[in-house]
Amino acid sequence: MKQDNDVLTKCSGSRPFRVPEGYFEGLDARIMDALPERGHDTAVRPVTAWMRIRPYLYMAAAFAGMYFVLGLFADGRGGAGADGAADGCTVYSDEYIDSFLDESMVSDFVIYDLLVNNDL
Amino acid sequence: MLFPENEIVEVFKDGSEGEKRQAFELLVREYSQKLYWQIRHLVISHDDANDILQNTFVKAWLNIDSFMGYSKLYTWLFRIALNESLSFLNRRPQTVQIDGEAGSSLEQQLESDPYFDGDETERQLQQAIATLPDKQRVVFNLRYFDGMKYEDMSRLLGTSTGALKTSYHLAVKKIETYFNTTD
Repeated sequence: MKQDNDVLTKCSGSRPFRVPEGYFEGLDARIMDALPERGHDTAVRPVTAWMRIRPYLYMAAAFAGMYFVLGLFADGRGGAGADGAADGCTVYSDEYIDSFLDESMVSDFVIYDLLVNNDL
Repeated sequence: MLFPENEIVEVFKDGSEGEKRQAFELLVREYSQKLYWQIRHLVISHDDANDILQNTFVKAWLNIDSFMGYSKLYTWLFRIALNESLSFLNRRPQTVQIDGEAGSSLEQQLESDPYFDGDETERQLQQAIATLPDKQRVVFNLRYFDGMKYEDMSRLLGTSTGALKTSYHLAVKKIETYFNTTD
């Protein structure tokens, strides 16, 4: 590192440290002796058929659940008297509208007012 | 004999507890001295370096199951040792303060250290190194004392060679300034 500067060239560049005599001779054994026991034996356990197929079963169950939920959602929107019209609008049957209005607590007057004011 | 890095990694992944211990012993045998010197340069005292080295291997041993082989074994060990050393130094901030009265604590430590072999200039150099920020200190030690290439250092520290060169350059400048102000 002689290009560094004058200060560093004054130093030897070698380690100015020593270790106690014989320190490195027994070091590896001392390190190994001081290692604690590990909590559990992590040796490889035999993989059973159940352990192998379990992730696939979980995945299949998840897809089945999603399919079921989406099916319910689709039924809720499209069922009970709705037909898909060719122009993209949904045509509802009169029975469906009547039952919807009965449950929506909208009075006849409000409906009449809405129809007249919007030229429907 | 070539160090069986790949075989050791395989044992760490799939071996029994006894096999792992045997493989770990090979690791200790291969790297204990090298790691000791890396630690010693950072913490200066032999006793502290010895404790930190032991802690490093204990931590590595307790975590070998989490070693996935994404890095070299030495890189993994070095990073544990580096973290241990820096944590130790940060718990003792008085030893790394910059100048004036605070700098004298390291001077006294070196004077009374039976395992410090350096002359007055080398004692000053150690004091100057102790004033550097952690990263610059590590880079300076690896480059100056171990003559490590920037490419190797880059793999070890996970930093670009450009940043390492800058760190080393800054470290040298600071050491120079330290010497100029203390002369």
